[in-house]
Amino acid sequence: MKPVTPYALAGRGPQSREQVVTFSIADQSFAVSAAAVQEIRAADNLGGVVREIEQPVLSKVRHIVERDGNAYYVVSGQEHFHLRRSRPASVLILRGLRAAVLVDRIEEMAEMRVLFTLPASFLGLERGWYRGLTVLNGRVLPVVDPRGFLTGEECEVLEQSTAEVLQTMQAGEKSR
Amino acid sequence: MSFEVQANAGSFVVAQIGDRRIALPREIISELIGSPIVHSFPHTTPLLTGVVIRRGLIVPVLDLGPGVFGRPSPPGRFFLVVKREIAGQTDFCAIPVQGECEIVSNVLNPSEEEEGCAIGFLEVNGERIDVLNLERTIASGAAAIQHARAEAAL
Repeated sequence: MKPVTPYALAGRGPQSREQVVTFSIADQSFAVSAAAVQEIRAADNLGGVVREIEQPVLSKVRHIVERDGNAYYVVSGQEHFHLRRSRPASVLILRGLRAAVLVDRIEEMAEMRVLFTLPASFLGLERGWYRGLTVLNGRVLPVVDPRGFLTGEECEVLEQSTAEVLQTMQAGEKSR
Repeated sequence: MSFEVQANAGSFVVAQIGDRRIALPREIISELIGSPIVHSFPHTTPLLTGVVIRRGLIVPVLDLGPGVFGRPSPPGRFFLVVKREIAGQTDFCAIPVQGECEIVSNVLNPSEEEEGCAIGFLEVNGERIDVLNLERTIASGAAAIQHARAEAAL
């Protein structure tokens, strides 16, 4: 679904609908395309090998989880969105990306019928965080861009700084 | 009345922002609306406090308080919807205002400061009312907030 420009309601045909997962962090709600989420797990049971990054280069990434031969950087949703302290209970493992995102609560699955472009007055980091805005049950929710959790540059920095940890994890996986 | 003075006459909307009465050029005002529900979400753009839905549009809420009187505005009874041009795109913003607004046709007196937020002032019933340059007021408010954030981070 492409954002509507300008911000008029449109796209009511069935082909323009999209399933989304809504979740909350520090009492703020967000939506993310269900197609972008590979798996949702409890934060205390990631179902893989978890390693702490001893010297974090990004404050929002402090752990790596290795599952089925793939390594995911665990991104704190609270730090990513500059929110106050929260209690993450769930993790969204993102499809096709190297990020797993800590969130407080999964709210619901819903059908998104409209995606508004982010108004041009928003000029900050949010332009990289969101695909746009949607309206669900009378609430305006930001629709998260999954690629925004870790930019290409951030991934590069993380890969360089955690090369040793990743090698150790891969070696451990092979020996199992 | 001289020709020069007549050339400076125009139409303005006078509104109350916090404890100050200010004016904006009539041509940038789209409408005055009653206070709708403001939806907020995380972002890092100074002065924006959320968005409202108006006529099927998502309209950002822009608090001019920091640029006008140095503090966030108290909750507004009305929102003044203004039109902005940002990087070649037209955007609408809803500015919370306190009290009533009025349209006045008056002479725009030139401002003493060239770089200030005001492009001039009106004299209405003996009261001096600054006519704001919206973009300069936004820039000034945003700079004040960023300065305060930087100080708080030290």
